[in-house]
Amino acid sequence: MYRLILKQFLRSRTAQVSLVLLLAIGIVSIFIGKQFLDKQERIIANVTQHQQDHIERNVALHDEMGLLLYYLHFSLIDQPDKLTALSIGQRDINPSIQSITIRTLEAQKYDTDLNNPSALQSGNLDLGFVIIYLFPLVIIALTFNLVSEEQEGGTWRMVVIQSKSVVKILARKLFVRAGLIYSVLLVLFVIAIGVLGLPLNEALTGFIVLTVLYLAFWFSFCFWIVSFQRSSSFNALTLLSVWIMLSILLPASVNNYVANRYPVPEALGAMVEQRDGYHEKWDIDKKVTMDKFYEHYPEFKKYGVPDAEFSWLWYYAMQQMGDDESAQQSKAMQEKIMQREQVSRSVAVIIPTMYTQLLLNDLARTSLSDHLALLNKTNEFHEQLRLHFYPKIFENASVKSEDWKTFRPEYLTKENNLNWTMIVFPLLLLIAIISILTFINVRKLGAI
Amino acid sequence: MKRSVLLLIAQQFWKNAFKTKSIFVMMLVVAVILSYAAYSGWKSYTVQNSIRQHYQEEVRKSWENNPDKHPHRMAHFGSLAFRLKHPLAMFDFGMESFTGNVVFLEAHKQNTVNFSEASFSTGLLRFGEISMAMLLQLILPLIIFFLGFASVATERENGTLKVMLTQGASWKEILLGKSLGLMGLAMLFFIPVVVVLLVLLTINESPDKADTLLRYTGTVFAYALFFQVLCFIAVIVSAVSKSSKDALMKLLALWLVFFILLPKTTQALGSYFYPSPSKIEFETAIEKELVTVGDSHNPNDPHYKTLRDSVLTVHKVDSVEQLPFNYSGFVMREGEKISAQIYNRHLNELLKTYQKQNSLTRITAFINPYSAIRHLSMSLSGTDFESYISFQNQAEGYRYTLAQEMNELQMKFISNAKPAPGDKPITISNEHWKEFPDFKHQFVDTGTSLQNESLSIAALICWSIVSLTLILYLSKKAKAV
Repeated sequence: MYRLILKQFLRSRTAQVSLVLLLAIGIVSIFIGKQFLDKQERIIANVTQHQQDHIERNVALHDEMGLLLYYLHFSLIDQPDKLTALSIGQRDINPSIQSITIRTLEAQKYDTDLNNPSALQSGNLDLGFVIIYLFPLVIIALTFNLVSEEQEGGTWRMVVIQSKSVVKILARKLFVRAGLIYSVLLVLFVIAIGVLGLPLNEALTGFIVLTVLYLAFWFSFCFWIVSFQRSSSFNALTLLSVWIMLSILLPASVNNYVANRYPVPEALGAMVEQRDGYHEKWDIDKKVTMDKFYEHYPEFKKYGVPDAEFSWLWYYAMQQMGDDESAQQSKAMQEKIMQREQVSRSVAVIIPTMYTQLLLNDLARTSLSDHLALLNKTNEFHEQLRLHFYPKIFENASVKSEDWKTFRPEYLTKENNLNWTMIVFPLLLLIAIISILTFINVRKLGAI
Repeated sequence: MKRSVLLLIAQQFWKNAFKTKSIFVMMLVVAVILSYAAYSGWKSYTVQNSIRQHYQEEVRKSWENNPDKHPHRMAHFGSLAFRLKHPLAMFDFGMESFTGNVVFLEAHKQNTVNFSEASFSTGLLRFGEISMAMLLQLILPLIIFFLGFASVATERENGTLKVMLTQGASWKEILLGKSLGLMGLAMLFFIPVVVVLLVLLTINESPDKADTLLRYTGTVFAYALFFQVLCFIAVIVSAVSKSSKDALMKLLALWLVFFILLPKTTQALGSYFYPSPSKIEFETAIEKELVTVGDSHNPNDPHYKTLRDSVLTVHKVDSVEQLPFNYSGFVMREGEKISAQIYNRHLNELLKTYQKQNSLTRITAFINPYSAIRHLSMSLSGTDFESYISFQNQAEGYRYTLAQEMNELQMKFISNAKPAPGDKPITISNEHWKEFPDFKHQFVDTGTSLQNESLSIAALICWSIVSLTLILYLSKKAKAV
């Protein structure tokens, strides 16, 4: 029986074209992801060498600690997981490497990567996109006429008369389609694992489970619509409209809402304040700056207020003021962004497309929160560097006294704590509700 | 061809459309999206621009309020350039959300344009944004296909097509009449957008209203042409399909391929085939080249040594202290010139790579009318790639002028003699700060925008002609059964 249904199904041109197309785009998307990941990995691999050369060159050039530290950049790296290739998320917009000097951090930490805005706008064609956007379209294309094709082709009566259970026949037809589409998904994951060398870990399992559930949602939803036994045209229109709603209109509306509800003027404010906070100090009494500096770092009080026209102690105290005076705005900005993230996430729980997208990004560590984690870590990293170098600069320690070889790029330690309930529960609940609704419809169907 | 018959068919088509409930549902959906899009476009435009203008003024105030100081300190104090939204950005967001909004301008250094909307965004921005342009580019085409798929195919299914033909209507009258009727329906959805946008643009206080209205008119014409093409395509597909179901499936497939799949794929392929350098690679390449042309901070650098010697010879003096201008200002002017040239050359190469990446999508305008209207609409709304590049260039131009102006002031007013320890630092009057003009973001002028989009305009006109030709061709070949 299954073989017949399969044969009949595979004979249709829609099925052939859409499955092959899906597989082809899926494979392309894996290679696009690979290209992105390769580029990131190549850059990161070069950073260590780059930093070493950079430090060596500058150490040879400058014999004053204060001047040397004016130039020296230190890198903090948020190494992308292999899964990034499958769900690039915000990684193309936000940089994965922070390369900073010990001067005002606020002036450095938001520097962007070089990007083609057209490419950003169009978005990445990664496997996540193929799964969230294109798989549902194929599911719709292959299931919308599950019943109506028989009705419109005149074979429905025969099916009803000849078989014991209409429901069983329909279920089998659905399973054949689901089986084929899941096979495509499986093949794509196998290719991805091979091509990208994905480690078989919990995150990957979560990724796969989530996508399987997401597709199950679409199957159950399509089957529910089909169970109303309307015409092919009606089903196609309804399902496509729902797809547009879930994949374009609703997420875009939420995005507009969040962007308008929470504008971030603090970002611009902080940028202006950090500049003025530092530069104004050149024109005011040194004591004012130094007092504020020692208020922040009482442990350095012993260095006093320098008399000389220029001293590195005063210079770095001024730089510090850039950060100190913009701290409030900077914090407000961070809170705004967190708010945006929270609102988006809470709305997403009831919209499967958004929900899956955000979770895939979480699993691949490519979400906005991951970037915020890097920014936070940058603060710590910067502070450590300052505390390490401040006394050496203030005492004008010899450049040679420092073991510069130890300054290698640092890596963000990642904690990927998977929340399985969040991965499984919301989608499963949705599928259960839809299944119950379908069951009610199908019972009526059996009664015919 | 009789005009009265054509109009009759168009009228009939129009009337039939209102017999079903679905058109009212679509109108409701479009009304809701339009209201939301108009509201959020307006809000984002006014709020963002007022924030940016506010800070641009703050920055100016703080620039002018600087006390007397050494001009080179002012060159490092620098300025910030904020990107303003064009009034039509409330219609078409284009790339706005993905481009940075503010850049710090200082001597010796080209900074990145930071704080794009996307950098504050959760993954949701990837699903797109609701704008009036998006409504017209994505949703209205689908509605046209919904309304048009049955136009001829149903008449064929019902056998009424034969009746019409035997009663004397020609194929030409039927096809053009149906297209006209469908265009009428499309206008029903299009005109509210046109009106809402006009109202918003009129109540908006913008300096160059005439130009904005010119762009608006261009936009309206472009979309009208786009919808004409789509209406013709819908009728053609309906006429060549066996059944109305068949026509619907074909049109939906067309929509998916041309409006969703193709644009994304071509952009991805463009980036795949023309990889662009990362920021580190880009900066390293510039740094390497800068090293070869000399380091203005190094007194023993051969390039600057030669320069010094030639300057001394020309002025017939034997030390830089005797020169009639400040020598370190002169050296910095030279350094700024060289580094800016090198940077700009690399930047132009980078932009060329980006343009190559984009070219694949742009050229598809000839096989995909959506691509044509998308680019033309963005350009007319001042939210396209070129508008962004223009801002970047203006900001860099201002940065360069600022740095060089401060160098000139240094050459002119700062003495070559080093101050003795304990002396007051050498300063110049803060009157000079006020004399230096403020940064003003200028939008790309309409002529240039249109010129940039000549390809899209040509493609759109091509589409219009081809679709009309197809209808006329079909009216000779079509069969009633």
